[in-house]
Amino acid sequence: MYGWIWRHLPGNVIVRALISLVLVAGVVFLLFQYVFPWAEPMLPFNDVTVDGAAGAAGGAEGAASAGTGIVA
Amino acid sequence: MTLRAVVRSFSELCITIGVLIVLFVVYVLYWTGMRADNAADGEIERLQDQWADAPLEGGAGDEAGAGDADSGAGQGDGAGQEAGSGDEGQAGGSAATPGTPPGPRAYQDGKSFAVMYIPRFGRDWSRPVLQNTGEQTLRKGLGHYSRTAGLGQKGNFAVAGHRRTYGDPFKDFPQLRSGDPVVVTDGATWYTYTITKRPYRTLPSDTGVLNSVPSPLDKGVAPFSKPGRYLTLTTCDPEWGSSHRLIAWAHLDATQPVSAGKPDALTR
Repeated sequence: MYGWIWRHLPGNVIVRALISLVLVAGVVFLLFQYVFPWAEPMLPFNDVTVDGAAGAAGGAEGAASAGTGIVA
Repeated sequence: MTLRAVVRSFSELCITIGVLIVLFVVYVLYWTGMRADNAADGEIERLQDQWADAPLEGGAGDEAGAGDADSGAGQGDGAGQEAGSGDEGQAGGSAATPGTPPGPRAYQDGKSFAVMYIPRFGRDWSRPVLQNTGEQTLRKGLGHYSRTAGLGQKGNFAVAGHRRTYGDPFKDFPQLRSGDPVVVTDGATWYTYTITKRPYRTLPSDTGVLNSVPSPLDKGVAPFSKPGRYLTLTTCDPEWGSSHRLIAWAHLDATQPVSAGKPDALTR
């Protein structure tokens, strides 16, 4: 895969290396900006409320039920 | 030839996944913290600007009400509080039901409205308190359970915060001890709460801890017996897990107008 990308980049070695760096930076940016923030809540150390439903129920009708919970 | 291609592709895949995992760890350990610290500082700055521009009205009246916090709290309103368990329409500060004085300022969903100081976590520890406990909200600071009482109001002002990641606001939660001050300001008043006892470890489903008069599953640890002005802090336990929750309770000890300067608890 990486070899294939390298072969399809234009220019000489230096230009290719620079383009590669830009590509890597772009991928890292996308990961940090979009992919990781999406994936991180699936890990356990994010639940700080009692019962976890509080976030969803916390809005308009926060008073609605006793079933909403504690956030960790 | 094809075997070679398969082996090479597999190796590249493994390396890619490895790099992804390392990047993710960096993201969780450092990046979320930096982002959260920035966001928290931004929120606190925004609040201070807002308070400087438009001093809160009604502060005086609120203080007068809160002044009786430790002595006479809840003598008259006992029945209503107990039955209501915090569903008195303070959620979001939207509905000021007749007879209930509205909070100092209506809390806007997802917006910060107060700053919390806990000297036990460090002299310079301060975090904004935002309305609701949603994922996005807790990335910026502490979250106020919308359905619980407002700051300094009768009932239970409950706040959740991350133990780890996003700036580790409640990292030192287990070090809280009886008598520790928790100071919160809404721009008009300093509210000094005092922790009643060591944090209580419970299950995530133990929602009774948020009641106006907290009623945890383990009745033995119930901190208060009658209605009053209380504060509840919640975070997760163990540090990196989510199987349990840590709860700390405090009661309102003193209030003073912002014009009177910082409370003793912060200047000590």
